[in-house]
Amino acid sequence: MTFFHYMHKNTVLHRMDGRLKLPGMLLLCLSASLASEWRHYLVPLALVTAALIIARLPIAALLKEMKFFAVIILIVLVTNAFTIAGDPIPYFPIQSVSIQGVMAGLRFAGRLILVIMVCTIVTGTTSLLTFKNVIEWYLRPIPFIPEVRVATMINLTFVLLPVIFDSYTEMMNAQKSRCVELRRNPIKRVNFIVFPLLSRTLRRADEIVYAMESRCYSEVRTRAMFKTNKADWFILTTCAAVLVFVIL
Amino acid sequence: MPVLEAVNLTHVFPDGTTAIRDISLQVHDGEFVIIAGANGSGKTVLIRHLNGLLVPTKGKVLIDGEPITKNIAKARRKIGLIFQDSDSQIVGQTVAEDVAFGPENLNLPVSEIDRIVREALETVDLSDLSAQSPHTLSGGQKRKLAVAGVLAMKPKIIMFDEPFTGLDYPGVVQVLRQLVQLHKTGHTILLVTHELEKVLAHADRLVILHKGELVEDGKPEDVIYRAENYGVRMPVKNGEEVGRITWFK
Repeated sequence: MTFFHYMHKNTVLHRMDGRLKLPGMLLLCLSASLASEWRHYLVPLALVTAALIIARLPIAALLKEMKFFAVIILIVLVTNAFTIAGDPIPYFPIQSVSIQGVMAGLRFAGRLILVIMVCTIVTGTTSLLTFKNVIEWYLRPIPFIPEVRVATMINLTFVLLPVIFDSYTEMMNAQKSRCVELRRNPIKRVNFIVFPLLSRTLRRADEIVYAMESRCYSEVRTRAMFKTNKADWFILTTCAAVLVFVIL
Repeated sequence: MPVLEAVNLTHVFPDGTTAIRDISLQVHDGEFVIIAGANGSGKTVLIRHLNGLLVPTKGKVLIDGEPITKNIAKARRKIGLIFQDSDSQIVGQTVAEDVAFGPENLNLPVSEIDRIVREALETVDLSDLSAQSPHTLSGGQKRKLAVAGVLAMKPKIIMFDEPFTGLDYPGVVQVLRQLVQLHKTGHTILLVTHELEKVLAHADRLVILHKGELVEDGKPEDVIYRAENYGVRMPVKNGEEVGRITWFK
């Protein structure tokens, strides 16, 4: 799946300082959420399209994969169309669907699509390491929060997730090969997978702790270096300008 | 003076099981030592003591004559440990990030870390994969990455825990080549395995553990013919030269 996956490239968005990219993302998401008129959607949409092209993300694949979100978008659209009262659509057989409802639904769907695209651009151009470093940087001034530990925990979660999924698939296949499907009781079937998986994950976590210890794990460690250039500030200012345009 | 020494090491687990009993072992600079034994003989527990990961119930570990507990971080820099399951050793989301984990813990400057990572990846021939996710690597490449992660700490002694487990023939040869190269470049090697046929030809010394006790310690050609008494397959026939069983062509 292309959505929310980092794609290693060398573009201005990939090189952008993560400390500015994160607020930039929030500003654009906020712009999308506050957009009410069609022109409000067009400006962020133009910016997002430009960003997709600049970041050299696979637009065709992303559009194709939008189908995964189609159900959610459809639910939003239909719910709004049916629940918001207003003038009925002429010649439309279902009378409870209003023009205002459909328009509100389209606006909500537009917001949702914009937020998904913004998040895709940010995750597609930012490695998890950069995310970790940015989170660590933002947490640093907050007292009583061990920012290195929090960042390490986030990092390890991302490291462990594919391993846990692999273990799960392996265990499921092993159980299928011993006809687990013939067991009718779903609780027993869950038991067969949950406890061995938990035990295996905990054992693996133990091993990871040993491996980190053997490589001198310490919370007093080299801090990430961030570099900000004019282009980064320009991008952030553009995002802020879009928000101002939407609010005004 | 030995670079690494275990003195009367005993480890008893909380449930009362004795993992190793009264083990004394001296390792000298530049040696290539194989620690063999059947499953459950205490090999992994022993090397985890030598890296300071486990605290013995009795006995001590000395590095250059000093107790390992005196400066555990210094000891771990000097003795690298490559775990049996490479996946457990990987903590980075890219190959380069994983190699940088150790030097970052040592709080080295970023420019130095970059150089160390580059050198370590070049040594194990993984430079081209530096931006790749470790989980997409093959078994042999993962083992190489684990070696690079340890090399980045610049250790003098490198310990391998069952490095051939789960590897196919090319994977075994890759790892073996790496091992022999590291030994040639002056590293002291300690290798835990029960697959002697893959590595015995390159070792200086063979130590066998049996039920937690050290039962044999000597030159491979002297010890190997008694290996099967302790549940370790003898890879040569009586009288056959040990040096001939190398996996290199």
